Amino acid sequence: MNEKNERIILDVAFQPQVRTERDTRSLMLDVIIALLPVLAVGVWQFGTHPLLVVACSVAACVFFEWGYRRLLGKEQSIGDLSAVVTGLLLGLSMPSTAPAWIPVVGAFFAIVVVKQLYGGIGKNFLNPALAGRAFLLSSYSLAMSNWAVPNSLHGTVDGVTMATPLSYLYGDTALPKYFSFQSLFLGNTPGCVGEVSTLILVAACIYLIGRKVISWRIPVSFVGTVFVLTLIFGRNGDHFAFALNNVLSGALLLVAVFMATDYSTSPVTKGGQLLYGFGCGAITVLIRYFGGFPEGTTYAVLIMNLCTWAIDKGFHRRQFGVSKEDIAREKAQKKAAKEAAK
Amino acid sequence: MSQTFKGGVHPNYMKAPEIPVTVITPPAQVVIPVTQHIGAPATPLVKKGDTVTMGQKIGENPAPVSAPIHSPVSGKVVAVEPRPHPFGDMIMAIVIENDYQDTPCKDLAPLSEKELKDPDAILERIREAGVVGMGGAMFPTAFKIRGGIGKVDKLIINGAECEPYLNGDHLTMLNYPEQLLKGIELVRIASGVDKAYYGIEVNKQDAIDKLNSLHPEKYGIEIVPEAVKYPQGGEKMQVKAVTGREVKPGGLPSGVGANVVSTRTCYAIYQACYEGKPVIERIVSVGGSALKAPVNALTRVGTPLGYLAEQCGGFVKTPRKIVLGGPMMGICATDFAAPTVKGISGVLFFTEEEDRHVDNPTCIRCGKCIEVCPMNLEPVFMYMYYSKGDYANLEKYHVNDCFECGSCAFNCPARMPLTHAFKTAKLMLQAKAAAEKAKEAK
Repeated sequence: MNEKNERIILDVAFQPQVRTERDTRSLMLDVIIALLPVLAVGVWQFGTHPLLVVACSVAACVFFEWGYRRLLGKEQSIGDLSAVVTGLLLGLSMPSTAPAWIPVVGAFFAIVVVKQLYGGIGKNFLNPALAGRAFLLSSYSLAMSNWAVPNSLHGTVDGVTMATPLSYLYGDTALPKYFSFQSLFLGNTPGCVGEVSTLILVAACIYLIGRKVISWRIPVSFVGTVFVLTLIFGRNGDHFAFALNNVLSGALLLVAVFMATDYSTSPVTKGGQLLYGFGCGAITVLIRYFGGFPEGTTYAVLIMNLCTWAIDKGFHRRQFGVSKEDIAREKAQKKAAKEAAK
Repeated sequence: MSQTFKGGVHPNYMKAPEIPVTVITPPAQVVIPVTQHIGAPATPLVKKGDTVTMGQKIGENPAPVSAPIHSPVSGKVVAVEPRPHPFGDMIMAIVIENDYQDTPCKDLAPLSEKELKDPDAILERIREAGVVGMGGAMFPTAFKIRGGIGKVDKLIINGAECEPYLNGDHLTMLNYPEQLLKGIELVRIASGVDKAYYGIEVNKQDAIDKLNSLHPEKYGIEIVPEAVKYPQGGEKMQVKAVTGREVKPGGLPSGVGANVVSTRTCYAIYQACYEGKPVIERIVSVGGSALKAPVNALTRVGTPLGYLAEQCGGFVKTPRKIVLGGPMMGICATDFAAPTVKGISGVLFFTEEEDRHVDNPTCIRCGKCIEVCPMNLEPVFMYMYYSKGDYANLEKYHVNDCFECGSCAFNCPARMPLTHAFKTAKLMLQAKAAAEKAKEAK
């Protein structure tokens, strides 16, 4: 009866014998899906030039990852789409006026230096896109802070470029009328291509949480901390308006939703994620108040990236079957034993 | 409101309780391994050439942690020799040629009315009938119940059947509800408690309704509806869901006053006490993409896996893996000639279709393993320490608490072999402890 069967070579494996459909690629694909409307708003506000910038950024990221791994004879990893995500994020955090070669330089730093030199996906300790952006900010600060007037403000504002709401919030002049809450929320504001529309970024955040790509903890604690701190230490009279403007303007939401939540550079424990989000928010506020840049999210997240491992160690989970009372009792016993030994 | 635990996953359930039970014709030769339980192997009571009847005791061991074995068919013993065991290795087995007469053995008579109320008589019968944990653990049930007497105030019957593909418990609930309740009552009497809690996942609402319509309170049973989540049927998770208590690390449920007995075990106890029938058959859910359609097969113990597949319609695709039990915790058989044993609730013939193996997986540190671990562990860090061979930190991260439910590895988008690693790590720690002990002894 088994003649036929005996020729079959059977595999053995430890459990589980089945796996979820969700893989790295599908998670990254969800991030890409969430980023496309963000890019669409950028195109609507700033024309088609950002498309070219983002395309160059994505192409460069994928090319550098492919090239690096090929050169070193490592297994190819571009199929997991993480390089595409990095490329999109880097491209979206450029001003709309940035020349197309700028993100290519950033992509080299992000992919080769920050990501691949440490072993690739999951091993880097800084967010590649943010590190790339930080590199560009300090290398080409002029090109990186040239804010074009968005299409929706043509006619209201004269000229080609204009100041961002953050520079008014932390400057001496009052916020102009055209920066109403509504226009900041919808995206009628200058800034990086991907950061302008709070509405779309909130929608993307809900999508990512719903698809279980990210948890609510980091974005909520990050943005919440910025809101609460600017509410407490408000400026310009109306604290609530100041706090709300702080949340609605700048790259806060783009960074909180897409970059601070980067898997390999953020904590995995629940408490750790809340503390990390709080840290990002607090440093952002510090930089906005006292730093040399009007926007602080980039450096805030990079600094917290460096603390991630230490944070996770601090939030070791409670052992199943050991209650808080058990731990307290054990401590008391140890103490008593120590005293008895004395 | 349904009760549950923290963590867990939602695998694709692939269940088919609507498929009626198929009675599998016993094979021409059955193979009965002497180890079908945890504890001391049974010593064969028969030798080559002996004639045996169906249900006759053919092996036993007086050790407390052991269970006798019985012939599932009538016929002639043709060999007592090592044969492939489904869980690997060659193990002593009694091979019986089936005479297809099914001549019954009269050794075990149904218990009398009085005996059915006597804990000692019930426990004696549970042991004599070879009842072991039929959910898969195969721990001798009589010993387990005895060990809990006086300590246990919450008796929990496990009706979660949270593993994909498996339908045996569900079908038992639907087809033999009254017998099942009587079986649970026996366990309750033997355990010396007033009430048994029957935890059933709400994806078996029809079974819950049916059991409730038979007034389980008459038998001292309360049905506890539970959320549909793997591993709800894990012993510790059942205790947590029903009582809110957490089993201590390294401890048994009886340590927190609970005992968990599976559905199929209770039914086996009913058969043993009311019908005088030892454990010689059970429903085995046969499935997987190598087969044309899943089958709920009423199978005699000792049926070779290859024969079982043939009886279930044969293969439409070449199988790559034979999984014994459910796909989440089931282990792989390596031989088509290996027989089914008492604790095997499912036999799955998997092809590449079920496999989502990745050759060189890379952890992306997403933390999805932490979210789902029902034991509050941190698999992402445990794996890191495992790769480094860092024993001290593995212990510090409580790798020994892992009961290998597979939730972390199931949920891993990068396909890291997490459960594999922890199973290996536990073995390494054991070996290390044993080596240290041996050194001390010198």
